[in-house]
Amino acid sequence: MTTGGWLMALRELDVRGEICPYPMMKTVQALKKLPAAEEGLQVITDHAPALETIPTQAVRLGFTTRIEETQASEWRIVITRAR
Amino acid sequence: MKEVTMTTQLDSNEAQSPLRTLACSLGYTEKVEIRRQVWMGLIAVAAALTILLAASRFDQDMALFWAFGLAFGFVLQRSRFCFASAFRDIFLLGHGRNLKGVLAGLAVASVGFAVLMSRQVPNPGLGILPPDANVLPLGLHTVLGGLLFGTGMVVAGGCVSGNIYRMGEGYVASWVSLTGIMFGLLGAGFTWNWWWQFQIASTPRLWLPAYLGHAGALAATLAGLLVVYLGVLWWESRAGLVLPDPPFAAEAGETFAAKLNNTLRRVFVHGWSAPAGGALLGGLNVLLFTAAHPWGFTGEISRWAIGISNWLGFGPGPLLGAEGLPGCALEIGGSGLFNHMLFLVWGMVFGSFIGALFAGEFKIRLPRQKKRYVQSLTGGLAMGYGAGIAMGCTIGAFFSAIPSLALNGWVFAVCLAAGAWVGTQIIQRIA
Repeated sequence: MTTGGWLMALRELDVRGEICPYPMMKTVQALKKLPAAEEGLQVITDHAPALETIPTQAVRLGFTTRIEETQASEWRIVITRAR
Repeated sequence: MKEVTMTTQLDSNEAQSPLRTLACSLGYTEKVEIRRQVWMGLIAVAAALTILLAASRFDQDMALFWAFGLAFGFVLQRSRFCFASAFRDIFLLGHGRNLKGVLAGLAVASVGFAVLMSRQVPNPGLGILPPDANVLPLGLHTVLGGLLFGTGMVVAGGCVSGNIYRMGEGYVASWVSLTGIMFGLLGAGFTWNWWWQFQIASTPRLWLPAYLGHAGALAATLAGLLVVYLGVLWWESRAGLVLPDPPFAAEAGETFAAKLNNTLRRVFVHGWSAPAGGALLGGLNVLLFTAAHPWGFTGEISRWAIGISNWLGFGPGPLLGAEGLPGCALEIGGSGLFNHMLFLVWGMVFGSFIGALFAGEFKIRLPRQKKRYVQSLTGGLAMGYGAGIAMGCTIGAFFSAIPSLALNGWVFAVCLAAGAWVGTQIIQRIA
């Protein structure tokens, strides 16, 4: 999958190294505080269970998500506002 | 609450409902780096087999328990099976993905255990208990142990089995948690004799078949699990959105190579569903009971902590009555470091390590905030003390106790849930 140029503008949230369930909790916190002008957030995580919990919570908050495996045991979750 | 309908159409480009968007986003391309994953995994398997062969020359039980450990660890890793999240996510997220897996495992193990125990004790009404089943004294120690354990596992981000398999995945915080668990068990050792006199010696061991017969006790247990399952479904329906398992993106084609590739990726790379993992763990538990005794290991971990401190001269000394109890009652050690249970615990770490290597999920993970280490340690301490007085963790006092058709398993479970609620309140305040 390619990352479009507009994605670079998304703020990055790096939760690598975090223990369960903080990758999800910190993402939810950041999404709730996201300024209206910003389209979304990219979360960098190395916690596999978060690949299920973060998309669920993001959808509940009105976002859509897309997961990319960036390297072994690291993922980027691109979260954008649902139109 | 938003209402969503379940759909499995992943490729549809129609107007997007929230769940369809979710399902799409969950299915990402899982990369497989052949050299890093397959070869490293095979090397680890070769190492595990070498240890198996070496152990079998020394002691058949050590080899057997090493093999069981590998299998338990592999299944835990592949299904990301987590008792802490099973209880916690009910409160934190309003969903029961892992709890449903736990229920599946309990149902499988209950049937298997019931058959085994009916052979061991044909007349359950006579007051004889199956010697190895986890029918434990039920008292205040069960309640406090469950509350402490439930709180600790949420604060530490995983229970004992969860931390053991994450140790194999490279989570450094889980090694810290295990240290905390050992010290917690040691603390339980120092207070064991008080607990023995206050509660454990005088409280009853309530085995359901003694009152309901084998079939009645099994039926009551399965009915109880069904009620909990329905409760989970109702709870999830209130939360509005149920978490689907990530879809598996199969390679197209009917060739043998394509089919083999899909099978291998499904087993070794793609995460398993929680009910699949739970059912397999339940089945393995039945096999282990058939071979020796139900699954459990906090007694063994206590043996390291108490044995070493006794050997160094500052340990708790003799423990009243602990030797006569089944399950994971504290052990003082004394027969040397190596025994078959040591192989079970480290086999679980190694089995998870193998699973993580094949899946490309092994990575040394270091929390950046110092408070996470404090959390892992204190959560571990609470779990260790709780498991010490309750004579088991989420495995010994719960996952092996409810299938033992023992009432203590249900009481411990309720207290685990209450403790997990407390833990959920704590972790949200120390983000």
